Amino acid sequence: MKKVLILLILVYGHLYALDRESTLKMYHKLLFSLSPKAIVSVYVDDDEYRKIFSFSKRIQLINEPENADIALITNEMAFRKVLGERRNMQIGKKPILFATDYRFLKRSDDIIGAFYWRKGRSQLLFIKDRLDRHHIVLPREYKDFLVDEL
Amino acid sequence: MKYRYTDKYIFVIMGLLILFALYLQYSISKSTEKLKNEEIEKTERYAERITNYIQSETNSTTLKSYLEAHPDKREALNKMLHAFLTKEIQYIFLLYKDDKGHYRFLLDGSLKDPVEYNTIFFPKSKLFDHVYQTQKPQIIKQSEGVEEIWLSLLYPMVKDNNTQALLVIDLSKAYGDYLNDFNSPIVYIVTLMQWFLLISFLFLVYLGYNFHRLRKSMLIDPLTSAYTKLYLKEFFDVKKVNQYNAMMIDIDRFKLINEKYGYETGDTILKLFTKEMLKLLPKESRVIHTGGSEFFVILEKSSADLKEMAEKVFEGLTKKRYLIDNETISLTISMSAMVIPEDVEYIGNIQRCLDEKLLEIKNRGKNGLGIIDNVSVTEVKYKNMDYIKETLEEERLTCVYQPIFDTKTQQIIKYEALVRLVDKEDPQKLIAPYYFLDMIKNTTQYIKMSKLVFKNVFHTLHMYPDIKISVNIDLCDLYNADMMKLITQELFKHKQNAHRLTFEILEDHEIKDYDMVALIFQQLKTFGSKIAIDDFGSGYANYIYLIKLDVDVLKIDGGLIKELLYYPERTKMMLNSIKVLADVYGYEVVAEFVSNKEIYDIVCELDIPYSQGYYLGEPKPIEEYMNKEQN
Repeated sequence: MKKVLILLILVYGHLYALDRESTLKMYHKLLFSLSPKAIVSVYVDDDEYRKIFSFSKRIQLINEPENADIALITNEMAFRKVLGERRNMQIGKKPILFATDYRFLKRSDDIIGAFYWRKGRSQLLFIKDRLDRHHIVLPREYKDFLVDEL
Repeated sequence: MKYRYTDKYIFVIMGLLILFALYLQYSISKSTEKLKNEEIEKTERYAERITNYIQSETNSTTLKSYLEAHPDKREALNKMLHAFLTKEIQYIFLLYKDDKGHYRFLLDGSLKDPVEYNTIFFPKSKLFDHVYQTQKPQIIKQSEGVEEIWLSLLYPMVKDNNTQALLVIDLSKAYGDYLNDFNSPIVYIVTLMQWFLLISFLFLVYLGYNFHRLRKSMLIDPLTSAYTKLYLKEFFDVKKVNQYNAMMIDIDRFKLINEKYGYETGDTILKLFTKEMLKLLPKESRVIHTGGSEFFVILEKSSADLKEMAEKVFEGLTKKRYLIDNETISLTISMSAMVIPEDVEYIGNIQRCLDEKLLEIKNRGKNGLGIIDNVSVTEVKYKNMDYIKETLEEERLTCVYQPIFDTKTQQIIKYEALVRLVDKEDPQKLIAPYYFLDMIKNTTQYIKMSKLVFKNVFHTLHMYPDIKISVNIDLCDLYNADMMKLITQELFKHKQNAHRLTFEILEDHEIKDYDMVALIFQQLKTFGSKIAIDDFGSGYANYIYLIKLDVDVLKIDGGLIKELLYYPERTKMMLNSIKVLADVYGYEVVAEFVSNKEIYDIVCELDIPYSQGYYLGEPKPIEEYMNKEQN
């Protein structure tokens, strides 16, 4: 019985690790496509994302958006904070803004793309002219997710 | 059902059960598939109706331009689509493909968090494009990057051969799970059953393996690696006895080897001896270690000529030298061999024949080979314990009577009862004691036979009140409590006739306790029966009897009488002395083996009062003598 329990725990732990790993892998690829740096500093205020990113040695978590290379906007508060500071501090194009909700992408021209779920399907979206503004050239594999307008 | 087939039947039954369990699983899976297909068909019917309705509502122009121009109609159609959202249908929406090939929403049935008109959508499947092009509805399964959806039905809206839009109906994963789980209690039971059967099967295999190992250890002698007696039995349960020849080999004085060189050396010699034997025998032969230093060999009749093979084996085994601890040991063997007759069915009979032959060789001084040629099937048949047992159980026993004559008058004064068994197939055929007496001695069958003999004898005494009968009995039997009990009971039961009965006592061994024998004789004589000493003058039946025991009749040994033909004078003197002695003691004297006139005349001359033998009268059923007497 003990062995069965240990086996179940191991299996569950493995599955959880797989989910975490796939998310990290996806964002890892995405973040390093947006930034040419070897270590990317990322601002994100969502604990879940911070936890996942903490497993990467190449992602540096930053507490203030102005110091980050990329800011991940996951909620309304982050949206207001990052966009507010950006306007107030006149910090130009830095950080690159990426959202996890389509609505944020629509509300601000500064956000270059988003990864979100719609009708049970994951949606990755980049807006061409916004990427151009940051002089970002995406790898070919993201070609299908590049749109001119929303 | 023979036990060795039982395990096979169990495996077959287990196999059928496993097949049944697999069939159940297949049936359940088919039933679940049927449910799913019905649901898909239902969804297809919905899609057809929805697209027909939308087309009827927007028939005047292209769908996209119509919906763009009529937001109110969009609203109404969204509500219509919403009506189809159930626990089965998770999402329902209408997409079109823009000039750049991106899919965008035309309608969305979701009321909660609805997607705005013309919002871009990445469908995560190339099948969307496929359906758009082929204009054929298609079901797509959940793929990577898709959640909460079990199946999606893509239904194209076509007008004038152009695909205007794609109706997407997403069936919820929860519903898919529900359908999958619909038969889950049965699936659970079937799965449990399969596991149970699998574990049982593995356990059965394990038991089978252990049984096989155990059986092997029972069939193969661990010391010599020859087969055991059990193997012999099982072998002839399947094979026909008459297709084989047999040999019996025994190492002479093997006990001495054990005593002289130790049991370990004895074991080594047995091993080497078996190995040598196998080397000499044809490959198909089977060597059975029947115990001690005795081996039984069976050879296929077709493999070699028995005589040649037996001689080769005998020579090989006796020439072989065994080097043990710098000492060379040679062995002598006693060996018997026989060609098994065609009609023989039971190997036990053959073993008995070979055993008897082996005993004969050993009695002749060991170190010899005896081949049983042309053994009669009758002999093999009758020397079968089961046959004799069956015969006694069925009371197929009779007595024949040989008359004892008054030598002078040639009048019959008594009959000697001689036991015979009756053949099962041919009641006219009588089986002589030679075939069965030694075999049943010291068994319950012997008591049973004695009981039947007494029954027959007392019946004869009862039937013919004027005759006397003598019956043979071995002194050893009288030491047996059961036998004595039987005799005393019979005597008591027929006490009115007991005085006409004489017990002819046979003795193979020297009497050690005369007091006890005297007591036994006393018991036998309680109701007036007489005691005769059979074969007087030979073996242990000697003069000391006359001193120590109370007997009534001396029956002179046939061997002595026979000598009258070769040494008449000396034998006459001997017989005369016995007669004089008997007269002094007041015993009756009977000369046995009076087989011709010459002997009869001498017996007359010697004035021996009673005679018995083939010259005077053969053993016959009592009726024949009685009828003759009456005539």
